[in-house]
Amino acid sequence: MIAIQTDDVDIGALIAVAKKQGTGAVVVFDGIVRDDEITEMELEAYEAVATQELEKIAGEATRQFGLLHVDIIHRIGRLSVGENILIIVVSAGHRPEAYAGSRYIIEEIKKGVPIWKKELTKHGGRWVPGEHGHGNGKPR
Amino acid sequence: MWWHRKEDKSGEEEMTVKIRFFARFRELLGTDIMTDVAAGTMFTSLITSIAKKNPEGYAAIFDKNGAFYEFVILMRNGKRIDIADADRTVIVDGDEIAVFPPVAGG
Repeated sequence: MIAIQTDDVDIGALIAVAKKQGTGAVVVFDGIVRDDEITEMELEAYEAVATQELEKIAGEATRQFGLLHVDIIHRIGRLSVGENILIIVVSAGHRPEAYAGSRYIIEEIKKGVPIWKKELTKHGGRWVPGEHGHGNGKPR
Repeated sequence: MWWHRKEDKSGEEEMTVKIRFFARFRELLGTDIMTDVAAGTMFTSLITSIAKKNPEGYAAIFDKNGAFYEFVILMRNGKRIDIADADRTVIVDGDEIAVFPPVAGG
Protein backbone atom coordinates (compact mmCIF):
# COMPACT_ATOMS: atom_id res chain seq x y z
CA MET A 1 0.00 0.00 0.00
CA ILE A 2 1.28 3.43 -0.95
CA ALA A 3 -0.71 6.21 0.70
CA ILE A 4 -0.73 9.74 2.02
CA GLN A 5 -3.42 9.96 4.63
CA THR A 6 -4.47 11.55 7.92
CA ASP A 7 -5.32 8.26 9.63
CA ASP A 8 -2.85 6.03 11.46
CA VAL A 9 -2.33 2.44 10.34
CA ASP A 10 -2.20 -0.95 12.00
CA ILE A 11 1.47 -1.88 11.60
CA GLY A 12 0.84 -5.45 12.73
CA ALA A 13 -1.65 -5.94 9.92
CA LEU A 14 0.85 -4.52 7.41
CA ILE A 15 3.54 -6.97 8.60
CA ALA A 16 1.12 -9.88 8.20
CA VAL A 17 0.45 -8.89 4.58
CA ALA A 18 4.18 -8.30 3.90
CA LYS A 19 5.02 -11.93 4.71
CA LYS A 20 4.83 -13.09 1.13
CA GLN A 21 6.03 -16.50 0.04
CA GLY A 22 9.83 -16.55 0.22
CA THR A 23 10.06 -13.87 2.92
CA GLY A 24 12.97 -14.26 5.31
CA ALA A 25 12.99 -10.74 6.74
CA VAL A 26 10.57 -7.88 7.28
CA VAL A 27 11.96 -4.44 8.16
CA VAL A 28 9.66 -1.78 9.58
CA PHE A 29 10.65 1.88 9.69
CA ASP A 30 8.39 4.00 11.89
CA GLY A 31 9.11 7.74 11.89
CA ILE A 32 7.64 9.40 14.97
CA VAL A 33 6.90 12.97 16.12
CA ARG A 34 9.78 13.65 18.49
CA ASP A 35 9.38 15.67 21.68
CA ASP A 36 11.51 18.66 20.66
CA GLU A 37 9.60 20.98 22.98
CA ILE A 38 6.77 21.13 20.47
CA THR A 39 3.06 20.80 21.07
CA GLU A 40 2.15 19.30 17.71
CA MET A 41 3.41 18.89 14.19
CA GLU A 42 1.49 19.87 11.07
CA LEU A 43 2.22 18.03 7.84
CA GLU A 44 1.27 19.11 4.36
CA ALA A 45 1.72 17.37 0.99
CA TYR A 46 1.29 18.05 -2.71
CA GLU A 47 -0.71 14.86 -2.60
CA ALA A 48 -1.05 13.81 -6.24
CA VAL A 49 2.63 14.38 -6.98
CA ALA A 50 3.83 12.98 -3.64
CA THR A 51 1.86 9.76 -4.18
CA GLN A 52 3.35 9.35 -7.65
CA GLU A 53 6.84 9.92 -6.24
CA LEU A 54 6.30 7.35 -3.48
CA GLU A 55 5.11 4.81 -6.05
CA LYS A 56 8.21 5.48 -8.13
CA ILE A 57 10.50 5.05 -5.09
CA ALA A 58 8.75 1.79 -4.10
CA GLY A 59 9.15 0.45 -7.65
CA GLU A 60 12.82 1.40 -7.78
CA ALA A 61 13.50 -0.16 -4.35
CA THR A 62 11.74 -3.36 -5.42
CA ARG A 63 13.89 -3.58 -8.57
CA GLN A 64 17.21 -2.66 -6.91
CA PHE A 65 16.90 -4.84 -3.81
CA GLY A 66 14.60 -7.63 -4.96
CA LEU A 67 11.95 -6.76 -2.36
CA LEU A 68 8.90 -8.99 -2.13
CA HIS A 69 6.58 -6.35 -0.67
CA VAL A 70 6.63 -2.59 0.04
CA ASP A 71 4.26 -0.38 2.03
CA ILE A 72 4.79 3.35 2.42
CA ILE A 73 2.24 5.32 4.43
CA HIS A 74 2.97 8.99 5.04
CA ARG A 75 0.60 10.83 7.30
CA ILE A 76 -0.47 14.46 6.94
CA GLY A 77 -2.47 16.83 9.11
CA ARG A 78 -1.88 17.57 12.79
CA LEU A 79 0.05 14.98 14.76
CA SER A 80 0.95 14.94 18.43
CA VAL A 81 4.25 13.95 20.02
CA GLY A 82 4.67 10.18 19.85
CA GLU A 83 2.39 9.69 16.85
CA ASN A 84 3.49 7.87 13.70
CA ILE A 85 4.45 10.10 10.76
CA LEU A 86 5.81 7.63 8.24
CA ILE A 87 5.60 3.86 8.15
CA ILE A 88 7.68 1.83 5.71
CA VAL A 89 7.30 -1.94 5.67
CA VAL A 90 9.45 -4.03 3.35
CA SER A 91 9.98 -7.73 3.01
CA ALA A 92 12.75 -9.64 1.29
CA GLY A 93 14.27 -13.10 1.22
CA HIS A 94 17.17 -12.02 3.42
CA ARG A 95 17.93 -9.22 5.89
CA PRO A 96 20.61 -7.34 3.87
CA GLU A 97 18.12 -6.63 1.08
CA ALA A 98 15.33 -5.77 3.52
CA TYR A 99 17.49 -3.31 5.49
CA ALA A 100 19.01 -1.77 2.36
CA GLY A 101 15.62 -1.43 0.67
CA SER A 102 14.08 0.23 3.71
CA ARG A 103 17.04 2.64 4.02
CA TYR A 104 16.87 3.50 0.33
CA ILE A 105 13.17 4.35 0.57
CA ILE A 106 13.48 6.71 3.55
CA GLU A 107 16.49 8.52 2.06
CA GLU A 108 14.71 9.00 -1.29
CA ILE A 109 11.61 10.36 0.48
CA LYS A 110 13.78 12.89 2.31
CA LYS A 111 15.38 13.98 -0.97
CA GLY A 112 12.46 14.84 -3.11
CA VAL A 113 8.87 13.93 -2.18
CA PRO A 114 6.80 17.14 -1.83
CA ILE A 115 5.84 16.94 1.84
CA TRP A 116 6.51 19.60 4.49
CA LYS A 117 6.44 19.71 8.28
CA LYS A 118 5.69 22.59 10.60
CA GLU A 119 6.57 22.33 14.26
CA LEU A 120 3.98 23.98 16.47
CA THR A 121 5.12 25.33 19.82
CA LYS A 122 3.56 27.43 22.55
CA HIS A 123 5.13 30.45 20.88
CA GLY A 124 3.97 29.80 17.30
CA GLY A 125 5.16 27.64 14.46
CA ARG A 126 8.28 26.95 12.46
CA TRP A 127 8.64 25.13 9.13
CA VAL A 128 11.23 22.38 9.29
CA PRO A 129 13.92 23.38 6.79
CA GLY A 130 14.32 20.97 3.89
CA GLU A 131 17.57 20.06 2.21
CA HIS A 132 18.35 22.94 -0.14
CA GLY A 133 20.58 20.71 -2.21
CA HIS A 134 17.68 19.29 -4.17
CA GLY A 135 16.21 22.68 -5.09
CA ASN A 136 17.42 24.48 -8.17
CA GLY A 137 14.31 23.31 -10.00
CA LYS A 138 16.24 20.46 -11.59
CA PRO A 139 14.32 17.36 -12.63
CA ARG A 140 15.40 14.31 -10.72
CA MET B 1 -9.17 23.57 -29.81
CA TRP B 2 -11.16 26.47 -31.22
CA TRP B 3 -14.15 25.82 -28.91
CA HIS B 4 -11.93 26.21 -25.86
CA ARG B 5 -10.61 29.56 -26.93
CA LYS B 6 -11.64 32.54 -24.90
CA GLU B 7 -11.06 36.04 -26.08
CA ASP B 8 -10.85 39.19 -24.05
CA LYS B 9 -12.20 42.56 -25.21
CA SER B 10 -9.14 43.25 -27.32
CA GLY B 11 -9.63 39.96 -29.13
CA GLU B 12 -6.54 38.33 -27.60
CA GLU B 13 -6.74 34.74 -26.46
CA GLU B 14 -6.99 34.19 -22.68
CA MET B 15 -6.31 31.07 -20.67
CA THR B 16 -7.09 29.89 -17.17
CA VAL B 17 -4.42 28.27 -15.04
CA LYS B 18 -4.18 27.09 -11.46
CA ILE B 19 -1.31 28.10 -9.19
CA ARG B 20 -0.51 26.09 -6.10
CA PHE B 21 1.89 27.28 -3.40
CA PHE B 22 2.88 25.01 -0.53
CA ALA B 23 4.17 25.29 3.05
CA ARG B 24 5.57 28.74 3.89
CA PHE B 25 4.80 30.03 0.39
CA ARG B 26 1.15 28.97 0.81
CA GLU B 27 0.87 30.80 4.12
CA LEU B 28 2.11 33.99 2.49
CA LEU B 29 0.41 33.80 -0.91
CA GLY B 30 -2.53 31.40 -0.66
CA THR B 31 -3.05 28.38 -2.89
CA ASP B 32 -5.26 26.95 -5.61
CA ILE B 33 -5.30 30.37 -7.25
CA MET B 34 -7.26 30.30 -10.50
CA THR B 35 -6.16 33.09 -12.77
CA ASP B 36 -6.64 34.18 -16.36
CA VAL B 37 -3.48 34.80 -18.31
CA ALA B 38 -2.81 36.07 -21.80
CA ALA B 39 -1.52 33.68 -24.43
CA GLY B 40 2.27 33.61 -24.50
CA THR B 41 2.72 34.32 -20.77
CA MET B 42 5.93 32.83 -19.42
CA PHE B 43 6.21 30.80 -16.19
CA THR B 44 8.44 33.35 -14.42
CA SER B 45 6.31 36.39 -15.27
CA LEU B 46 3.13 34.64 -14.11
CA ILE B 47 4.62 33.72 -10.71
CA THR B 48 6.20 37.18 -10.37
CA SER B 49 2.87 38.93 -10.88
CA ILE B 50 1.03 36.65 -8.42
CA ALA B 51 3.78 36.84 -5.78
CA LYS B 52 3.93 40.64 -5.95
CA LYS B 53 0.51 40.73 -4.28
CA ASN B 54 2.31 40.12 -0.97
CA PRO B 55 5.80 41.67 -0.56
CA GLU B 56 6.75 39.08 2.06
CA GLY B 57 5.65 36.27 -0.23
CA TYR B 58 7.57 37.78 -3.12
CA ALA B 59 10.70 38.13 -0.98
CA ALA B 60 10.45 34.47 0.08
CA ILE B 61 10.61 33.29 -3.56
CA PHE B 62 12.62 35.90 -5.46
CA ASP B 63 15.98 37.48 -4.71
CA LYS B 64 16.67 41.23 -4.94
CA ASN B 65 17.36 40.90 -8.67
CA GLY B 66 13.94 39.35 -9.25
CA ALA B 67 15.34 35.85 -9.92
CA PHE B 68 14.01 32.69 -8.26
CA TYR B 69 16.10 31.67 -5.26
CA GLU B 70 18.02 28.54 -6.22
CA PHE B 71 16.22 26.47 -3.55
CA VAL B 72 12.75 27.16 -4.97
CA ILE B 73 11.17 24.17 -6.71
CA LEU B 74 8.93 24.71 -9.73
CA MET B 75 6.49 22.27 -11.27
CA ARG B 76 4.15 22.32 -14.19
CA ASN B 77 1.52 19.58 -14.27
CA GLY B 78 3.51 17.55 -11.76
CA LYS B 79 6.83 17.75 -13.61
CA ARG B 80 9.84 19.73 -12.42
CA ILE B 81 10.90 22.79 -14.39
CA ASP B 82 14.47 24.01 -14.19
CA ILE B 83 14.71 27.57 -12.90
CA ALA B 84 16.93 28.35 -15.87
CA ASP B 85 14.08 27.37 -18.21
CA ALA B 86 11.26 29.11 -16.35
CA ASP B 87 11.48 32.42 -18.16
CA ARG B 88 11.19 30.72 -21.54
CA THR B 89 8.50 28.20 -20.54
CA VAL B 90 5.15 29.23 -22.00
CA ILE B 91 2.05 28.68 -19.88
CA VAL B 92 -0.70 26.71 -21.58
CA ASP B 93 -4.46 26.77 -20.88
CA GLY B 94 -5.35 24.41 -18.01
CA ASP B 95 -1.82 24.18 -16.62
CA GLU B 96 -1.35 23.45 -12.93
CA ILE B 97 1.66 25.37 -11.71
CA ALA B 98 3.26 24.57 -8.34
CA VAL B 99 5.90 26.56 -6.46
CA PHE B 100 7.33 25.32 -3.19
CA PRO B 101 10.29 25.40 -0.81
CA PRO B 102 12.63 22.43 -0.21
CA VAL B 103 10.73 19.37 0.93
CA ALA B 104 10.98 18.01 4.46
CA GLY B 105 8.95 14.82 4.62
CA GLY B 106 9.80 11.56 6.31
